[in-house]
Amino acid sequence: MGVSLAVRLCSREDGLLELKNPVMTAAGTFGYGTEYARIVDIQRLGAIVCKGTTLHQREGNPQPRIAETPCGMLNTIGLQNIGVRAVVRDKAPIWARWQVPVVVNIAGASIEEYVAVAETLEGVPGVAGIELNISCPNVAAGGHSFGVDRLAAAEVTSAVRSVTTLPLIPKLTPNVGNIVEIAEAVVRAGADAVSLINTLSGMVIDTATRRPFLSTGTGGLSGPAIRPIALRMVYQVASAVDVPVIGIGGITTADDALQFIMAGASAVQVGTATFADPSAPLRILDGIHDFLNREGISDINELVGVSQEK
Amino acid sequence: MKLAEARVLLNCEILDGIRLLRLEADDIARDAVAGQFVHVRCSRGSDPLLRRPISLYAIGSPATAESPGRGKPKSGASPTSSTAASPPQLKKGQIDLLFARVGRGTELLAQLAAGDTVSVLGPLGKGFHITPKTRNVLLIGGGIGMAPLSALAAQAVARDLTVTMLCGFKSEDAVLPAWLLPPEVEYVVCTEDGTAGRKGIVTDIVVDFLDWADEAFACGPRPMLSALARTPLLQKVRAQVSLEERMGCGVGACLGCVVRTKHGLQRVCRDGPVFEMKDIVWE
Repeated sequence: MGVSLAVRLCSREDGLLELKNPVMTAAGTFGYGTEYARIVDIQRLGAIVCKGTTLHQREGNPQPRIAETPCGMLNTIGLQNIGVRAVVRDKAPIWARWQVPVVVNIAGASIEEYVAVAETLEGVPGVAGIELNISCPNVAAGGHSFGVDRLAAAEVTSAVRSVTTLPLIPKLTPNVGNIVEIAEAVVRAGADAVSLINTLSGMVIDTATRRPFLSTGTGGLSGPAIRPIALRMVYQVASAVDVPVIGIGGITTADDALQFIMAGASAVQVGTATFADPSAPLRILDGIHDFLNREGISDINELVGVSQEK
Repeated sequence: MKLAEARVLLNCEILDGIRLLRLEADDIARDAVAGQFVHVRCSRGSDPLLRRPISLYAIGSPATAESPGRGKPKSGASPTSSTAASPPQLKKGQIDLLFARVGRGTELLAQLAAGDTVSVLGPLGKGFHITPKTRNVLLIGGGIGMAPLSALAAQAVARDLTVTMLCGFKSEDAVLPAWLLPPEVEYVVCTEDGTAGRKGIVTDIVVDFLDWADEAFACGPRPMLSALARTPLLQKVRAQVSLEERMGCGVGACLGCVVRTKHGLQRVCRDGPVFEMKDIVWE
């Protein structure tokens, strides 16, 4: 029996984004896609989200940048990236030859910077969409201050919306009191979809030095440790907004991904799990396919949000 | 670079806390050069989550397997023995890793038994490069930093170069045995407390070798490498260093392991781990 895994993240005529399957890779964990191209068959992925990209290149934060934690890790990379012009010049031409669509994750310290990055990406072959990073907890340029305030979140979304026809997907931070109201605000401001969650702010202290271990004190927690929180937030947001939701947070197995889909996610992003197992995204894809076959479900979309039904 | 399930051939304690892990890994052994590393998964589950980068201590490539290679096996060493006698000769298609038990991840690796499989990604990174005109190779190690230098020693010896390994340890009980090196290598040990070999640290002793050496290669704790960069070493010879850093992905994607160089930030996992010593900005 054939099963359809295709999902649609944006249905606008001038910004259609349809994925052949719901498994994406998360920003910051998959580089520009090229890094993994010789290890796994990246063309089978639903989509790739590239490293968070700012207007100018950034050096990021000092070492130490990562710390392992129970079933997870903290990072404070600090948005080290090559800048949007280098992405357009050096990476997009490669992506344009790929079957797998690449979404560019963009970040900025000001609305003007977000707008400038989005303008630079407009009409560039190889760029399939924009994930609006308003949730990086590690640097001022990461837009976290936009992500924790619904008015600011709406303002930056609306400003970028006005300069791009690309599918626009704000990525939400869990470090807020009410993530649903942020999601509703960005949808009203023109988001085509929302992705959540980014990392949770956390800390490790080195008892030998008695100081926080990471160079910036705090870092972003990712990995299976955050999955139940992410799932709860996806469930809440999916019940409140009428745009596609992309679930992110500690997804490591097909069962994890299916939980997010049943909670209401149209697609999922695999991030930290890829570090432990570069084949994790494809293993998850195969597992979802097997599940549909086993359950006699012909279309993945039949599963999206089924857990919401009373 | 390959993601492979490698079979464990032996896993034995060389010294207290230092282990030798031999794996059957054809593709890695075929492609690897000295200075490269593999990213090893410690747990099948999610805890500990991250792989551990471990440099190749010995590579059973077709070339090295035919050469006299590393120290001659002593009698009576069984492949699964858990103590210090030297193991059987490395064969083609096999790789040896030397690692220190320093935390939960490496403790789990220490429990792997012959016949188990372990997920290994590699070979990763850029290795050492010996300049063609070099005749006298000076290797400078600190503790387990000897591991990638030993792989380089095997390649140098196979090219009939003269190799001296200067290696520093805290004290006698931490000194890595000479059989870990090819027999052709002159092994100069120094200890901080003088309980074995020369008393002192490698940065004091290295000057004695600088007139002889054509080229130097170093691997050890960052403070040792940083101190080496302040010795006259670099005025005398070209030097390459292998750096260690906490890693996420191991393939250049996550930017967790960058180091500051004169050419900007570079990824230890992909642009290194071997760098020109003069290019590193030593803090």
